[in-house]
Amino acid sequence: MAGIRVENIVKLFGRVKALNGVSLEVRDQEFVVLLGPSGCGKTTLLRIIAGLEHAESGRVFIGDRDVTALPPRSRKIAMVFQNYAVFPHLTVFENIAFGLRMQKALPERLRAQVERAATLMHIENLLERYPAQLSGGQRQRVAVARALAVEPEVLLMDEPLSNLDALLRLEMRAELKRLLAESRTTTLYVTHDQVEAMSLADRIAVMNAGRVVQYDEPMKVYQEPADTFVGGFIGSPPMNFLRLPVEGSQARIQSLTLELPSSPPGKDVLLGVRPEDLEAHLEPQPQSFPARVLVVEPLGSHLLLTLAYEQQQLKVTVPPDFAAKSGQTLWLRPQPGRLRWLDPASGQSLTHARQA
Amino acid sequence: MRSERYIPYLLVLPSVIFLLFLFAWPLVEALLLSIRGSEGWTLEHFQRMAADLYFKDAVKYTVLLAVVVVPLQVILALCMAMLLGGISKGRDLFLYVWTIPLGISDLAAGIAWLAIFTERGYLNSFLQALGLIQEPRLWLSYETPAMLFLAVVAAEVWRATAIVLVILVAGLQLIPKEYNEAAEVFGATPWRRFWKVTLPLLMPSLQVALILRTILALEVFAVVVALGGRNLPVLAGEAYFWYNAYQNPGVAAAYSVLILGISVLATLLYLRLMRPRQEVAA
Ligand SMILES: Nc1ncnc2c1ncn2[C@@H]1O[C@H](COP(=O)(O)OP(=O)(O)OP(=O)(O)O)[C@@H](O)[C@H]1O
Ligand SMILES: [Mg+2]
Repeated sequence: MAGIRVENIVKLFGRVKALNGVSLEVRDQEFVVLLGPSGCGKTTLLRIIAGLEHAESGRVFIGDRDVTALPPRSRKIAMVFQNYAVFPHLTVFENIAFGLRMQKALPERLRAQVERAATLMHIENLLERYPAQLSGGQRQRVAVARALAVEPEVLLMDEPLSNLDALLRLEMRAELKRLLAESRTTTLYVTHDQVEAMSLADRIAVMNAGRVVQYDEPMKVYQEPADTFVGGFIGSPPMNFLRLPVEGSQARIQSLTLELPSSPPGKDVLLGVRPEDLEAHLEPQPQSFPARVLVVEPLGSHLLLTLAYEQQQLKVTVPPDFAAKSGQTLWLRPQPGRLRWLDPASGQSLTHARQA
Repeated sequence: MRSERYIPYLLVLPSVIFLLFLFAWPLVEALLLSIRGSEGWTLEHFQRMAADLYFKDAVKYTVLLAVVVVPLQVILALCMAMLLGGISKGRDLFLYVWTIPLGISDLAAGIAWLAIFTERGYLNSFLQALGLIQEPRLWLSYETPAMLFLAVVAAEVWRATAIVLVILVAGLQLIPKEYNEAAEVFGATPWRRFWKVTLPLLMPSLQVALILRTILALEVFAVVVALGGRNLPVLAGEAYFWYNAYQNPGVAAAYSVLILGISVLATLLYLRLMRPRQEVAA
């Protein structure tokens, strides 16, 4: 039984505020992905949970224990470092065995665990080598195997697959997910690959500039972003945001009027809509608005269109056989139920209750 | 483009000439001196050296000094370097104070310690003031070789630990802190981190320090002469006496060649025993 809970973590590096009041709870056996742009504080948060960095304020709990004042070795965790930190003076075998040796594991268990972890990471034929004789991706897998070999209750992983080729990453991702679900390991996993985040996570914590801006299930984060940052960061291409005038409790796109869930604070409102949630038609349709095609990009599985509605640009995906040419006018019908309404001033969603 | 290949050689040439002129040439001269007699090649200088009354003691004390002083210095310096790693404020101040002896010449250091151990020196005054002894004791006479030896050890440790410290501090700073962090996360206590991570990664620096200190320890001279004259014979001292007092450059050269031989042997031994593991595997 070991969840992770951090409360109001503030971390300063000199005058840089790396973490600005982060609270997060990872339930026992849950797989949580920390997702955010470079420099938003993901590694810093992981290092604070591991005890390698001390926060200016805030508390860290692992299981039922307050570990804020405990050194890393007493926190009973394993970690995959972003820069691997594989010991250069030890063979791959000894690297993977390091944690077990520190626990004074029995030789049979040690050997079995090391071989299991190495096999899982496809490095079982490299056990006698030294890290200097490995490629970057192989070294990274040694770092992952080292963490898996100790069978921790709590596992922290900082971009553990970032250096692998696309195919291997896909495979490792699936195996990691299976293994960690089987072993019921509580996992906090850092990535800035949103596909990885969506596919692995029970819940995703999206971070930006030292804060957790949204913490929810993957589909919720995708479909109901808490603000313009999350909508823009997740999804490729990102969510479209159209600034529309408000009339009473409705927003207007030319002749089309859309109901607002609550009246916005200003005269304008932002409509957030995913590129796949706009249905494109060649002819005028009810419940649609016109937009002019600027660019057509064939992407194999679909066409990506860039269109202009008045002065605003938006992206729409359509089936690959859709006949669209630049300069043409299309009618776009927003899928009801898939629309987000946001306040243009703050960027916050009108419906989303903001996470503390 | 071909001419560029010669540029590196051109650039190292001045230093090579300098080394040849000031090191290699005297070295060869000394070698020749030691094996050339009045009528051609000879081993007579070496035979004379070996037959000399002081020879056995000189070898014994030189080796003994190196064997006692060098490990003592390395262990001490390692402790000091690790302590320095643990403090953040005032770290530089400690480093400066600890490295002061580096700036003092070995003869001056010997004389400073002579002032402590001599008949009317600080040690005797101190012990008298405490009432532990009634009258001044002779610490540095030929009758008390053990005490004399200890005095030289103390002076050498005081004088030359700092150079080891500087090398080790630099070496410790080169070890990325992520390795210690990883070890800590995986449950290593500070003690095990030192043995399993820091020490193995410090090997290259330790090797440099050991080689440097061993060679210098085998050449120990000024401190010994200042404290004990010839009461504690050492190889470098004998070379000096044979050259100056006995006016016999041949035997003096034989002594230098012997020192050189032992130094080379020790260096090879260190290089062999302390090879990084990766190389062993390759
Ligand atoms: N040791 C440090 N000293 C000073 N500033 C630091 C230090 N470590 C991190 N920072 C700063 O703190 C902020 C957060 O860094 P962090 O490493 O947590 O980012 P990250 O989210 O892991 O980014 P990435 O995805 O690039 O790894 C950055 O602005 C960074 O410059
Ligand atoms: Mg990072």
